[in-house]
Amino acid sequence: MQLKLGTALAVLVTALLVSGAAGASTRQATAGGTLNVDLATDVDYTDPALSYLSTGWELEYATCLKLMNYPDQNGPKGSQLIPEAAAGFPRVSNNGKTYDFTIDTKFTKFSDGTPVTAASFKAAFDRLADPKMQSPSGAFMSDVVGASRSPVSGIQAKGSHLIINLTHAGPDLLARLAMPFFCAVPANLAHDPNGVNTPPSAGPYYVASRVPNRTILLKRNPYYKGKRPHNAAQISYTIGNSLDATYLRVQQGASDYASGGIPPAAYAEAAQKFGINKGQFWVKPFLSTGYLAFNTSRGIFKDNVALRKAVNQAIDRRALLAQGGYLAGKRTDQILPPGIAGFRDADLYPLKQPNLKAAQKLAQGHTGDGTVVLYESNRGASPLRAQIIQYNLKQIGLNVDTKLFARAVQLEKEGTRGELFDIADEQWGADYADPYDFINVLLDGRTIQATNNNDFSYFNDPTFNKQMTQASLLTGSKRYTAYGNLDVAIMQQAAPWAPRSNANNRMFVSQRFGCFTYSPIYTVDLAAACLK
Amino acid sequence: MLRYFVRRLLWACMLFVAVTLVTFVIFFVIPADPARQVCGQRATPECVARAQHFLGTDRPMLVQYAKFLDRLVVHQSLGRSFTNRQDVTQEVLDAAPVTASLVFGGAVLWLMISIPIGILSAVRSRSLLDRVTMVAVLVGISAHPVWIGLLAAYFMGFRLHLFPITGYCDLFSPTGDCGGPIQWAYHLFLPWATFAVLFAATYVRMIRAYVIETLGEDYVRTARAKGASEARVLRSHVIRNALLPVVTILGMDIGLALGGAFFTETVYGLPGLGKLVVGAIGTFDLPTIEGVVVFATLCIIVFNLIVDTVYAWVDPRIRLT
Repeated sequence: MQLKLGTALAVLVTALLVSGAAGASTRQATAGGTLNVDLATDVDYTDPALSYLSTGWELEYATCLKLMNYPDQNGPKGSQLIPEAAAGFPRVSNNGKTYDFTIDTKFTKFSDGTPVTAASFKAAFDRLADPKMQSPSGAFMSDVVGASRSPVSGIQAKGSHLIINLTHAGPDLLARLAMPFFCAVPANLAHDPNGVNTPPSAGPYYVASRVPNRTILLKRNPYYKGKRPHNAAQISYTIGNSLDATYLRVQQGASDYASGGIPPAAYAEAAQKFGINKGQFWVKPFLSTGYLAFNTSRGIFKDNVALRKAVNQAIDRRALLAQGGYLAGKRTDQILPPGIAGFRDADLYPLKQPNLKAAQKLAQGHTGDGTVVLYESNRGASPLRAQIIQYNLKQIGLNVDTKLFARAVQLEKEGTRGELFDIADEQWGADYADPYDFINVLLDGRTIQATNNNDFSYFNDPTFNKQMTQASLLTGSKRYTAYGNLDVAIMQQAAPWAPRSNANNRMFVSQRFGCFTYSPIYTVDLAAACLK
Repeated sequence: MLRYFVRRLLWACMLFVAVTLVTFVIFFVIPADPARQVCGQRATPECVARAQHFLGTDRPMLVQYAKFLDRLVVHQSLGRSFTNRQDVTQEVLDAAPVTASLVFGGAVLWLMISIPIGILSAVRSRSLLDRVTMVAVLVGISAHPVWIGLLAAYFMGFRLHLFPITGYCDLFSPTGDCGGPIQWAYHLFLPWATFAVLFAATYVRMIRAYVIETLGEDYVRTARAKGASEARVLRSHVIRNALLPVVTILGMDIGLALGGAFFTETVYGLPGLGKLVVGAIGTFDLPTIEGVVVFATLCIIVFNLIVDTVYAWVDPRIRLT
């Protein structure tokens, strides 16, 4: 028995030595030209009609060809829409309801060699509108004529022209068209409700293979000769590594980018070790706002602007933000995040520390029975924030009864009209870069229905509703000025929220990761990334 | 014998229905609508209603359960995931070999560690070796696999570069850029070691106790009196008898280990059943949760059925109970 055991151990040790050498040689062989990305949880879909997670959109930014897109540049330039497959900006009819795009795609073809035409964009709309597909894009094309059935009657492909007819003017259409939902697809791409794992694409890269929950491989589109960068020969995703392991792997060089992030506790260490925005640890703003929504339809906050303002004065935004870890974001007292067109900085409520005197004065005589119910998620920093809110509101005579839920349950409950909560701790990330996606989507009271609401404050002010509609119909600088004014006016006069912070994206890349480019909408630009 | 087998088979079917039905009921008690997740943060009532119909969640729970059983029994399908619409049968079949590799490889390793150490500790009872081993056993039992895994990954993987920090390579027909028996074993060595520590500690103690007990048996004394060498006494009379109950417990522990593998899978990023089901719970993905529950239940039922049948065949008294 002992002899057999000894032999077994010798075999194991030999196997490990051999495999160690094999492992080392594999690492060397895969170094050149392959950008390795670690992803903790798989993307939902690689099919542009269905993908609706930020990690999926990061991937689609490298593979999609869109009518309009954001340039592969850092800073404000990266947020300015430019034509991509369109030859220029569209011709818009006088009533703002018809958009005529001229398609110029001589610089590319789909990765399977099929030419890209205006019909390829119409095919995307037809696919999205097909009820069989169950695409989540419906809300972003509801103003397109005939969008409820496929083929969409309001989209016409005539030669090199793509004509989009809207039911009413939609000045934010161009921003919406930059969403991956609307990227070109071959006209014969299957309307498969389960999604196509390796759809041909006409952007710089294409999905060459996908094994769900394990790997995704992007390769350069051999037909792409456009202006967008496509540096790495291939981009290889490894799925399922824990955040701790990913942090170590990126430091070791086994992976080049922690797409799913690193452990929250490691951000401070990463900043100290690698510096901030100096090559490996990047901190950039993300178009989102975290806020406390006051339920204005019932309970203590109904018709109680004074108390809503009091809470805005009483909450400790610094402490609330600190729970998200090092460099989690910036404190805010506004609805719109900086970086979105229209935002103008206004000094409305205290950002550094609570103004208790002002808060107590405002709250005096408005605290009702003194109890508020807070709905909060049970994950991450949320329960910690609940404790801070509880302490802060105690200072103005409010006892907070915190109820923790799984995130999906919290959304379900808060979205149901009549649910018995007073404050909901929420966060909203932009679907596309336009103030409509914050102001109208989250605060237009006319959208309130029995269930599935996004207006968690159930704010329904006829004057503001009207102003929101007016702003949404404006174009250019007038539009953004109107939204900027609305942002400030709503918070000053009605305060349906207590905004707390705008989140940062904290990204960790390997030493050999070069050409770092960040898009506030799609995060890291994988097409632009290069290997040092 | 046949009657006993049929009776056990009927119990197995009832157990299967009970487990899957309970999973269904628990899912429906939680007020989270997967249809809303299908439609994303800008969910419209029309989209949610359509998605509910598409997913089948607009029907009564018992109808959904009946459809699930029909799909499973008639079409041998576990359906499609709510969150990524992948084929759950395929997802489970892809994940099962990973968990099996971890559990069975871990079992081999913990036996390789615990058998010699347990025997040596028993033979040299109360020696320095025995005391050091017992302290190590205490540490092994007390330490959580996540902690051990993180330390092993940090020191053996990150600091010393001896093993990969995470990842999995298929034993056969690789799906990624690595595969084959050597890469498979190389990637799994740390997970096996992590997984083995807890069980090895328990088994060392157990084997030590059984060996000490067996060493005091009359037939061991007789063998020694007849002039058998100490090595022969150990090999032929002590170890064989002492390891019999260990084999029985090993069978039960492997079943338990399948359930506990998800800690190790999470730390090392192994795409096994544990990781699959934990991800599915987070997104309220009923078909995937049911898929893993069905698979695990079937494995345990079939395993128990085989064991019970073999026991009944070996020991006729069992049939009466």
